[in-house]
Amino acid sequence: MKNKKLMGSVAIIFIILLVSFFSSQAQETSSPKKKIPEVGVLQYVSHPALDEIYRGIKAGLKQEGYDPKKQTVKINFQNGQADQSKLKTMSEQLVNKQADVLVGIATPAAQALANTTQKTPIVLGAITDPVSAGLVKSNEKPGGNITGVSDQSPVAAQIELAKKLLPQAKKMGILYSSSEANSEYQANKASTIAKKAGIEAKNFPVNSTNDLLTIVQEMANQVDFIYIPTDNTIANAMQTVVGAANNAATPIIPSVDTMVEQGGLATVGINQYDLGVKTGQMVAMILKGKSKPATTPIYTFTKGDIIINQEQAKKLGISIPDSIKQQATLVSADKTKK
Amino acid sequence: MLVSAISQGFLWAVLGLGIYMTYRILDFPDMTTEGSFPLGGAVCVAAINAGVSPIIATILGIGSGILAGLVTGLLYTKGKIPVILSGILVMSGLNSVILFVMKSPNLSLLNKPRIQDLFGFLHLPKYFDSVLLGLFVLFVIITLLISFFNTNLGQAYIATGDNENMAKSMGIKTDRMKILGLGLSNGVIALSGALIAQNDGYADVNKGIGVIVIGLASIIIGEVVFGNLTLLERLIAIVVGSVLYQLLILVVIKLNFDTTYLKIFSAIILSICLMIPQIKKALRLQTGFERKEE
Repeated sequence: MKNKKLMGSVAIIFIILLVSFFSSQAQETSSPKKKIPEVGVLQYVSHPALDEIYRGIKAGLKQEGYDPKKQTVKINFQNGQADQSKLKTMSEQLVNKQADVLVGIATPAAQALANTTQKTPIVLGAITDPVSAGLVKSNEKPGGNITGVSDQSPVAAQIELAKKLLPQAKKMGILYSSSEANSEYQANKASTIAKKAGIEAKNFPVNSTNDLLTIVQEMANQVDFIYIPTDNTIANAMQTVVGAANNAATPIIPSVDTMVEQGGLATVGINQYDLGVKTGQMVAMILKGKSKPATTPIYTFTKGDIIINQEQAKKLGISIPDSIKQQATLVSADKTKK
Repeated sequence: MLVSAISQGFLWAVLGLGIYMTYRILDFPDMTTEGSFPLGGAVCVAAINAGVSPIIATILGIGSGILAGLVTGLLYTKGKIPVILSGILVMSGLNSVILFVMKSPNLSLLNKPRIQDLFGFLHLPKYFDSVLLGLFVLFVIITLLISFFNTNLGQAYIATGDNENMAKSMGIKTDRMKILGLGLSNGVIALSGALIAQNDGYADVNKGIGVIVIGLASIIIGEVVFGNLTLLERLIAIVVGSVLYQLLILVVIKLNFDTTYLKIFSAIILSICLMIPQIKKALRLQTGFERKEE
């Protein structure tokens, strides 16, 4: 090689590597004690739901007496902005700052943190299924340095609500797409819970949106109400489902608030901010030394906000008890049309 | 952290080398990159999850990238679709392929064997397994590329990029060269995707977003900092450029800039690098004392 600059640069890189190779063997542990606890937060991308979770985390920490403004905690925040190539460097930076607890918001961020440290406790904010994301061994006993909050919808509360609104209902049909692993999991869960609540449940998996209309028409005649898990395929074709179900006057209990706005009857949904608050509280418990990730189960919400589509209720001739109406958020289809 | 940044620089340099084969030598921008990169990772991670050994999984990843490049090449040469559009079509189609391969948008490698584990018996300090892996892979690829460019086929490939009409008149089948180039380049890009996925510990359907910028950054920084070079030196300069880019990003993060806006910092870094030749020229005009360029 003739180019001296290039040779020099290559040499410098190797010198850095050699020096750190030998120095890293010499020193391993000698971290000065810090005065205040530090929390490192890695968010995958700015997005209304995720931003809301981060806001909730700060509020949750504050409730437990950790307020960055009062210098009782230091929060280091990194946002990957969907650029996954930066997540690793950001995770290392957070670990390097000797965070006492790390928080990962959304799956790729949590995975990047999990791959960076096996020691520092990690709290998951809003990961639907931490087991299949390979983050924890089981939801009940995570086992490692990771625990957190799942954003799975409160199926039991949703079916409970359905029972209150539709007291005569005996048969529930579960509509989901067979190509989404996540919704199949939820469908089976809903079916078990419904049976416990004394409702007969039947699964109606859909292969593609092209078969959707036929299946909904058929199921609407067979069942008393339709339950839809968090399912992207069905969500995109919600209008088809609503049209067919309305023809048969069959109410729909979806699991997401947006599906209620599109013509579902009602649901119980989790507030993203509340998810964040719970995450923040879990972080605080670990900071206080009151809990350890390995033995702290993943928290799944059993309650949520009741969301009701009044217009749809009127159309189907369902009267909503005042007790429910008072705690519910009322939406209408008009809102989504605009 | 410094070591980790350097090791990441090595692994990302593989991507730079792949892009160099089309972007600089054949002189066209290949958008397939943003699809073949996550595809390589997806195939590799899915294979490891299915119990395949990491080495074979990585090779499968390379194979998937080559196939993707071949499709782009066929669309471009036989289908007469403009090269950017061919790349974009394949890139967006690959999104579904990745979902099909992984059966989910994201697949983890936690507690699964990885290719870095091959160095486990050496008991290296943290991150040095990735450093060794990167150095080994770069050595193999650069050796293969240099020997390829010295064959008749390689010379024909370079000629196609230099002057297509001239190459045609000399009897070179330029369409074949382009298909070959797209295939090989995307194979290398997919290898980089497979290595990065194993280094990060997961594959994700959105992992390709923005990678073309990282690849171009290593090429451009290498060119700007080191100027005119022979082919071997040029390939090494890409590696150094990739390491420099990772170090610059590390500096930005270390300086506690709000990382929400990290992309504008990387855009500024790249723009400055691209402008350096102009700035140099302008300075030369002012002083007039510099040596004339040969």
